[in-house]
Amino acid sequence: MSSDACSYTEYEDGEVPEGFPQTGEGATGAAAEVWDALREVEDPEMPVSIVDLGLIYDVTVEGDEAAVEMTLTYTGCPAKDMLTNDVKCAALTASGVREASVSIQYSPPWSVEMVTDAGKEQLREFGLSV
Amino acid sequence: MEPAEAELFRLADDEYVLAERYTEWQIFAPTPESDLALANIAQDEFGHARLWYDLLQEEYDYDEPDLLWEREPHDFVHSTLVELETPEGDWADTVVRGYLYDVAERLRLEALEDSSYEPIAARVPKVRDEEEYHREHAQSWLDRLTESADSLERVQAAVDRLFPHAMTLFAPTAHEDAIVEAGVRTRSLSELREDWLDEVVPYLESLGVEVPEPEDVVRPDPLGRDGTHTEDWFDLHEAFTASYHELGFDEPAELRGDRA
Repeated sequence: MSSDACSYTEYEDGEVPEGFPQTGEGATGAAAEVWDALREVEDPEMPVSIVDLGLIYDVTVEGDEAAVEMTLTYTGCPAKDMLTNDVKCAALTASGVREASVSIQYSPPWSVEMVTDAGKEQLREFGLSV
Repeated sequence: MEPAEAELFRLADDEYVLAERYTEWQIFAPTPESDLALANIAQDEFGHARLWYDLLQEEYDYDEPDLLWEREPHDFVHSTLVELETPEGDWADTVVRGYLYDVAERLRLEALEDSSYEPIAARVPKVRDEEEYHREHAQSWLDRLTESADSLERVQAAVDRLFPHAMTLFAPTAHEDAIVEAGVRTRSLSELREDWLDEVVPYLESLGVEVPEPEDVVRPDPLGRDGTHTEDWFDLHEAFTASYHELGFDEPAELRGDRA
């Protein structure tokens, strides 16, 4: 068998841009409550919090409105609508939050390097090599 | 139409229609591995189409039926390359089409990295990362298919058939001058076409494939980009909008009563 018959793709680790992953550390008041609620939201395919996966890029609360910026592991994610709805509902559980919006960002591009150490530990327990 | 809006339609329509053709291979691809690979590539292309259509919804007030389900087939501006029906069971056709498209796609994305329209520029790196695998997949298959005489013949036939349609990847829409003048895309279609030829021609020739002389290629009559399309497109359009129309959103089904 020639070596060509076994060609494969090499997956490279992405780089972690400064300021990522965001985990809500140091958040206060209603924003801290939103972060706590987001930690309860799990990826639809794996028992890992979307915060530990590094999917949340920013949380702001102004008055009674929460705004969450997040990304997807890849653009074709079939659970996009479900995830954004889960995130919106989670944000609405914070006391004093009456309106919540979720926007999807693709910059910086997510990579597995954005997963927190706790998230990597959970992914290993789940059976993935990260 | 705004220049960025026009470029978004080029991007989104190409990806969406190509993905539709890829999905036709599900459970029919030559090996389980290639079936999975193509399913994944199709999903990526649908994902990219969604990301560009989403932008049209966010920035230009379209909704999903406007963009897909209720849009007239003559308003789609994808290249004819991506709409052609795959000759039955012809894997070489899909591999060649994917290769010709993926090289052009990479060059186009590079020319959008510094787009003056920031929402496009911000999405390019993520899309580029995913597109790289598609080209690798197509090339690894081309390398294998050209190793035996029978399959080389099929690759050659696919190149002969698809090459003229691939040229329509670089055909202008009515908004082309505005797209370049506004800096939405930093390179012109003729520059992209030159770079594409410089890459695909030597590569295919190195595999023993004869490539038509670009200057002598007779362009297909429908160019895609101007809303003219081959018959294959109208059939495909009817097929992928059929379920939407069957669902009859104007008159939702009722569980009880006269219309049950």
